[in-house]
Amino acid sequence: MVTKRSAWARLTDGRAAWEKIKWSWLPDTNREAGDSVVKNFLLHWFPAKVTRQSLSWNYSFWLGTISAVLFLILVLTGIPLMFLYVPSVERAYLSVKDIEFTVSYGWFLRGLHRISAHLMVAVVFLHMVRVFLTGAFKNGTAANQNRPLNWIIGIVLLLLTLLLSFTGYLLPWDQLAYWAITVGTNIASAAPGVGEAMRFFLLGGTTIEQNTLIRFYVLHCFFLPLLVTLLFSYHMWRVRKDGGLACVDQLSLEQKKQGVEPIKSKTYSLLGITSGTTVHVETSLVDDEKYTVMSSPNLTRRLVVVTLGTLVVASILTVLFRAPLEAAANPAVTPNPAKAPWYFLWLQELVTTTTFTVGGFTVNGALIGGIILPGVLVLAAIIWPYLDRSPLSSIGVWWAKDRRRQNIVFLVIVAAILLLTIIGTFLRGPYWNWYWPWQSWPDMPRKF
Amino acid sequence: MKSGKPGPEHSIHRPAAPESPDEVTKSGGINLSRRKLISRIGLGATLLAIGGQAYAFVRSLVPNVLYEDPQRFKVGTLDQFAEGPKFIEDKRVFILREKNTFHCISASCTHLGCTVKMQRLNQPKKVNAGGREIEEQLEFACPCHGSKYYGDGTNYSGPAPRPLDHYKLEVAPEDGQLIVDTSQTVAQDFRLTV
Repeated sequence: MVTKRSAWARLTDGRAAWEKIKWSWLPDTNREAGDSVVKNFLLHWFPAKVTRQSLSWNYSFWLGTISAVLFLILVLTGIPLMFLYVPSVERAYLSVKDIEFTVSYGWFLRGLHRISAHLMVAVVFLHMVRVFLTGAFKNGTAANQNRPLNWIIGIVLLLLTLLLSFTGYLLPWDQLAYWAITVGTNIASAAPGVGEAMRFFLLGGTTIEQNTLIRFYVLHCFFLPLLVTLLFSYHMWRVRKDGGLACVDQLSLEQKKQGVEPIKSKTYSLLGITSGTTVHVETSLVDDEKYTVMSSPNLTRRLVVVTLGTLVVASILTVLFRAPLEAAANPAVTPNPAKAPWYFLWLQELVTTTTFTVGGFTVNGALIGGIILPGVLVLAAIIWPYLDRSPLSSIGVWWAKDRRRQNIVFLVIVAAILLLTIIGTFLRGPYWNWYWPWQSWPDMPRKF
Repeated sequence: MKSGKPGPEHSIHRPAAPESPDEVTKSGGINLSRRKLISRIGLGATLLAIGGQAYAFVRSLVPNVLYEDPQRFKVGTLDQFAEGPKFIEDKRVFILREKNTFHCISASCTHLGCTVKMQRLNQPKKVNAGGREIEEQLEFACPCHGSKYYGDGTNYSGPAPRPLDHYKLEVAPEDGQLIVDTSQTVAQDFRLTV
């Protein structure tokens, strides 16, 4: 029988309090390990058991987790930056300068925020590449799977990540910021019909001024992060609903082949609101000892390792590469060359090379390279899972034979994007002319 | 802890709605029951209210007044312009003087709006700009995507889809200053003669 103690006594009993915290992280028995997932709020989104293969480093490379950790770092570093930054055209640049040079650890917060944003763009993109190459957007045999939908949510999350970066780098109100927004919003205005109205709405006027800055600030700090949080939550929920990572489907197929009777994974009532037998998830659960381990501590331990590892790498990069701050925004002088951040350079390369003339009629590259081509790529990505007719054996498998052709097509597109990015980064100089790395750039006067 | 089997006692009982199928009258009109009519009015009002709020939300973000610089502005008296080009920095326009004629070329690239840079040529060059032979002293080039323009603003290389804009020039009667009107584009051969 438990002896009754006062609340104060329970609270001040250090050992009991520690026990209460640590038991779910360091469970002593399998039962405790299972309970910990159910009773710990933070672990609630995990299943009690998880397959060894989902945990392996070299199936998923944990890229989705790393993206989520980076987003968390961005939110946490973003909060103090929001207190320190002033979204006004008169003071934005000076407040960023203050953050960089006078605020204690301001340079670190801003640097970590910036590096994490760069890393997040890269990691979210790599996550997409991984999901495509492993055919992880395909449905298996279990009921209620909708992996194509989750793939689409993922694409939207990638686009939101890019939008977050885009809205973020206007904020310092330096030259890079000003000209990136000039080019970006002019691309929007190249859309036929609605373009000009869209640009007016984005800028809050016809020129890039206070209205534009405050719009991008609110989008960057409130709307877009909120959308990412909502979609990310749904993304994670769907992963559970779809029976975990796609590699698990191969295990259940194998079980089926061996004639193992499928276990109905769950029958539960929704807090007693529904009556009778309830929703059941028809996945043939992989619950065999040889495939699975308890989530706590096996999954949680790796999660902690990935979280800390991401934080360490981002912090080291922050110290090694200080965040640049260009001259204050000057509408009269465009830097020469004026380069977008690396992840938009392939687009800059595209808008540069896609203007063409038919007869006397010229189509602006902004429309072809800035709207139509990226639009086609996104649309193709969205419908791709519905066109993929490869067999079940290629779900959640790297380099599946039946998906070889589409993997090659995909990799060619990825390689083209990377190639254009590399050209834009290393081979373009003043006036966007071609310079080899061993050629030096001519001295360019600041104005003419 | 009390946790009974989920059973009928836990389910929410709703009184069965009285059967009230819509009746189509002989004249073709629809005869709704009172309950249905009121619930539809309620639903319609809710949607209308939400729609109205959403419209107000979006509409408030379309500015009615812009505190931007005027599009028609003075750039100085005529004697402040020497022969040749002058860049008016904060307005992003070039004023070009040839003896007693003036014209104004926009510095905003027609591709994506970066500010073009002027390049003076070492010696005059004869070029064919859009079918016309001209002799030029300078050219324009854009740093963002490498568009190039002849001295008269005609695009000849890079992604720019059309020539640089030319703006209308006037002389202010009250103080003799040159006025640029960027809301009015004019033909490339427009010249203000004074």
